[in-house]
Amino acid sequence: MNTIAPVFCTIVPPHVLDKLAQAEDPRLSGPARRTLEVDSAHRTRRRITGLRAVASPTAAATGNPHRTIHDCEHRTALPGKKVRGEGDEPGRDATVNRAYSGLGATFELLLSAYGRDSLDGAGLPLVASVHYDEGYANAFWDGDQMVFGDGDGEVFLDFTLPVDVIGHELSHGLTQYTANLDYQGQSGALNESVSDVFGSLVKQYTLDQTADRADWLIGAGLLAPGVSGEALRSMKAPGTAYDDDVLGKDPQPATMDDFVRTSQDNGGVHINSGIPNHAFYLLAVELGGKAWERAGQLWFDVLTGGELAADAQFTDFARLTVAAARARFGDGAELEAVTKAWSQVGVPTA
Amino acid sequence: MRIQVRRTGGFAGIERRAEIETSGLRDAGDWRELAERAMADGADTPSAGVPDGYHYVITFDDDRTVHCADPGLTDAQRALISRVLKEGA
Repeated sequence: MNTIAPVFCTIVPPHVLDKLAQAEDPRLSGPARRTLEVDSAHRTRRRITGLRAVASPTAAATGNPHRTIHDCEHRTALPGKKVRGEGDEPGRDATVNRAYSGLGATFELLLSAYGRDSLDGAGLPLVASVHYDEGYANAFWDGDQMVFGDGDGEVFLDFTLPVDVIGHELSHGLTQYTANLDYQGQSGALNESVSDVFGSLVKQYTLDQTADRADWLIGAGLLAPGVSGEALRSMKAPGTAYDDDVLGKDPQPATMDDFVRTSQDNGGVHINSGIPNHAFYLLAVELGGKAWERAGQLWFDVLTGGELAADAQFTDFARLTVAAARARFGDGAELEAVTKAWSQVGVPTA
Repeated sequence: MRIQVRRTGGFAGIERRAEIETSGLRDAGDWRELAERAMADGADTPSAGVPDGYHYVITFDDDRTVHCADPGLTDAQRALISRVLKEGA
């Protein structure tokens, strides 16, 4: 068992494992299935390792995930029919398996990197519904659970495909239980950005990637073949994720110079999120190593620290990240890097 | 009847618009009946909605405008929005 697990454990995303576990070839399905079985044992070990690195865990990290996946069967009543509960074997529906694995990956990042037991810090059950509506090209957090559509097949594929999309939706729950940022204007763009940041970190954690190896894309693999684009958003280069006849061009700004004023999309929450997204990217790359460790820790500290107001503006958030850097790491490279990152995107911290 | 649908928000934050002129269509009566049901349950002002949820604005004959948002659509609103986005231009 131990000779097989390390090969799969940190390199292969859980959803790939789920798929492999269903493979007819026992050479593939055997090891993958065993890896899924030992996954919880590994989680415990990694959790202990992770906790040592965390200075002050915010919750008693004794939790395990409590996941439930429902199938809406292409209707819109939520949550739909229960199809997989915690500990159940993967079934035949790859969408269900991806949702289950993505929930697990997000839970594990929160617990092992930040010592947080689920979204509320108290073991909140994680609920997702898949196959919502017919050809529904969207995913959302409804305040209690995640909802995923299958995509229209022409522009968007299944919204459970990118693990960062799953992490993004769950992070809306994390925000709801912590700073509860108003979903409007700059605080709404911060709400969106925090979801992109932790969504991307879930992907990087799952792939065990360092900041320089990560793609920093949100929704890679979500666009149908033929669509001119690589993803929906790029934290590395906001405004470059897609440029397509049907979709138009990625409207995200990277800096305050190009901040977009609009009444649409709750004041452009999915547009101006490009600015704090890019600041996080700059910080993570400047610091190097695993982005969830230091850069992610600072963002987590600000989100959960109790000082971030629900109507916070970019400058409020930026100042708190500087304070968090000083509190956690002193006057070191982190403080300098976070100050520089915000300066590069035109958000003042002083 | 001229029906316009504008969809904003969503995970991608990409706006989509479509409209249809139903007068003269064979099923104009069905359209009118569906539009009236959708209108009856619509709100006069936008709601906060949910993170990444779609917001919809439906306008009838440039005269009456109603707002609704996922996941709180009525069956009539969902059916109308879906038809206009599919069959409209």
